[in-house]
Amino acid sequence: MRQGWLRRTLFSAWARPVILVLLLIALWELVIRLFRIPPYLIPAPEAVVKQLVEQWPTLLQQSIPTTLATLGGFAMSIAVGIPLALVIAYSRTVESYVYPLLVFSQSVPKIAIAPLFVVWFGFGIIPKVISAFMLGFFPIVVSTVMGFKSVDPDMLDLARSMKASRLETFMRISLPQAMPSIFAGLKVSITLAVVGAVVGEFVGSNSGLGYLLQIANGTFDLPLMFAALTVLSGIGVLLFVIVDVVERWMIPWHASHRNDFAATA
Amino acid sequence: MNFKRRIALAAAALALVTGTAFAQGKDKVVLLLNWYTYSEHAPFYLGKARGYFDAENIDLDIQEGRGSGVTVQAVAAGTATFGYADVPTMMRAASKGAPVIAVGVALQTSPMSVMGFCEKNIRKPEDIKGKTVAVTPGDSMSQIWPLFLKKTGLKQDDFKQVAGDAQTKLNAVINGQADLLLGYVMDQAIKLQDATHKQVCPIRFADYGVNMVSSGIIVQKDLLKTKPDMVKRFLRAATRALEESAKDPAAAIDAMLKANPKSGVRDTALIGMKETARLYKGPDNPNDKPLRVGAKNMAETLQLLVDYGGLDKASAGKPEDYYTNAYLP
Repeated sequence: MRQGWLRRTLFSAWARPVILVLLLIALWELVIRLFRIPPYLIPAPEAVVKQLVEQWPTLLQQSIPTTLATLGGFAMSIAVGIPLALVIAYSRTVESYVYPLLVFSQSVPKIAIAPLFVVWFGFGIIPKVISAFMLGFFPIVVSTVMGFKSVDPDMLDLARSMKASRLETFMRISLPQAMPSIFAGLKVSITLAVVGAVVGEFVGSNSGLGYLLQIANGTFDLPLMFAALTVLSGIGVLLFVIVDVVERWMIPWHASHRNDFAATA
Repeated sequence: MNFKRRIALAAAALALVTGTAFAQGKDKVVLLLNWYTYSEHAPFYLGKARGYFDAENIDLDIQEGRGSGVTVQAVAAGTATFGYADVPTMMRAASKGAPVIAVGVALQTSPMSVMGFCEKNIRKPEDIKGKTVAVTPGDSMSQIWPLFLKKTGLKQDDFKQVAGDAQTKLNAVINGQADLLLGYVMDQAIKLQDATHKQVCPIRFADYGVNMVSSGIIVQKDLLKTKPDMVKRFLRAATRALEESAKDPAAAIDAMLKANPKSGVRDTALIGMKETARLYKGPDNPNDKPLRVGAKNMAETLQLLVDYGGLDKASAGKPEDYYTNAYLP
């Protein structure tokens, strides 16, 4: 009985990544000891953990502005990305005009133009939000367009034969069928928005984890830097999980959330 | 031409290229700068152009850097033979265990200043009150800034502070989002002038009792044991390059612009080179050759770092742990 409990814990879905992380940390420690990597190049895991504990209040406090900027950029990505994708998906004319330009804009390295955001929008949260938006909105557009374009045409024919209005067709067929793709885009978007917010903070900001990273870098405090990176990644994971939970709640019928799939995934 | 012949030709070409490099038996040396090339680095280009390094049997390869911190780490890890970096930054890294040491200090008077356009009429520390100052968090200037405030009787809430990276700082002042920035007299002052054609008026930290060394030449400590002769030869050439650049700044700037045309505008770069040469001498050794730093100057620098610059008192050690004049001509 006890062994069964242990096995269930060890192989449960949430334990697997934790086990992998622990293994990677052990490998990290091992590599540092084996190759005698000095702490000014890569800090030891225990030094990072120590900073995580000691600097926890600062880290937590600086996480707030970064998270807010991320969420702001993500909200903006949704507000702009989804309507834009809808228009692109339903109008070939708009698509031919806008889509190439969109891809072009996405290939512009954000880090190169980020300093200008501060020039245009001043210091404070706005340049960070825009930076997060710039990175976050493209995956939403691409996935949403794909979602609406891959709606089963037979279903649309069926709706037409039943004299459904355009709104009804949209609400009952197109939107539900596009939802999984939209959520796939949202998940990519939220992780990129975190990166965008930090890019914004690197460039010009008085607060946030990006700001803390810059200071840690300047004083060769590598443990603090890695601690901040850990918290940052934690924020990314947390936000991703939240989007995932919302997805399960909104489209519980989708294949990816059925239990039989989860068990073999 | 068939495939075999092409391979043979390529191999021959490779042999020729590597052959010429090795045939001369020169020491191949990488000098990693602290930043993208600007007037402060002109002496090294002059030394290379005039063959000072060649004469010492050194094949010098100058690489642009991305900040003193990165340069120090690269030298500590052996990626670059010599580094040209902010010595206080190197001291911070060394106190954390990086095996690096300064073998020559180029700027012995601090170029740090707080600067804005002259038209704003900010000439004395008191004028800073009520203004906005742009700083880069974590860099050497932002760490010494509180000392300048203390020495001049200013308080943090006398003015507004905004933070951003090196480029943002310049942009903020150019666009009027900030009145002042923390910068070097021969770097940011010139960049602001080049961008706007407006006069820049720096308030120098050194004029208000902040004595601290700045850029210098750094090496991995092991190099002093394994190749002491090469370090000496390099420093002989470097000293000559600095001396000649101080005498003939125009030649230095021309050599720099020839090697790297994007590194500045001739007129203002020339001003920058002249400003740089003024900093070659410290307060305690006015008659020494360049790169030879005074003991008092280094002791004061270390003390300031302990008091303000984020250097642990416990691991600070002695000034001699961080520099040596023994390899200078």
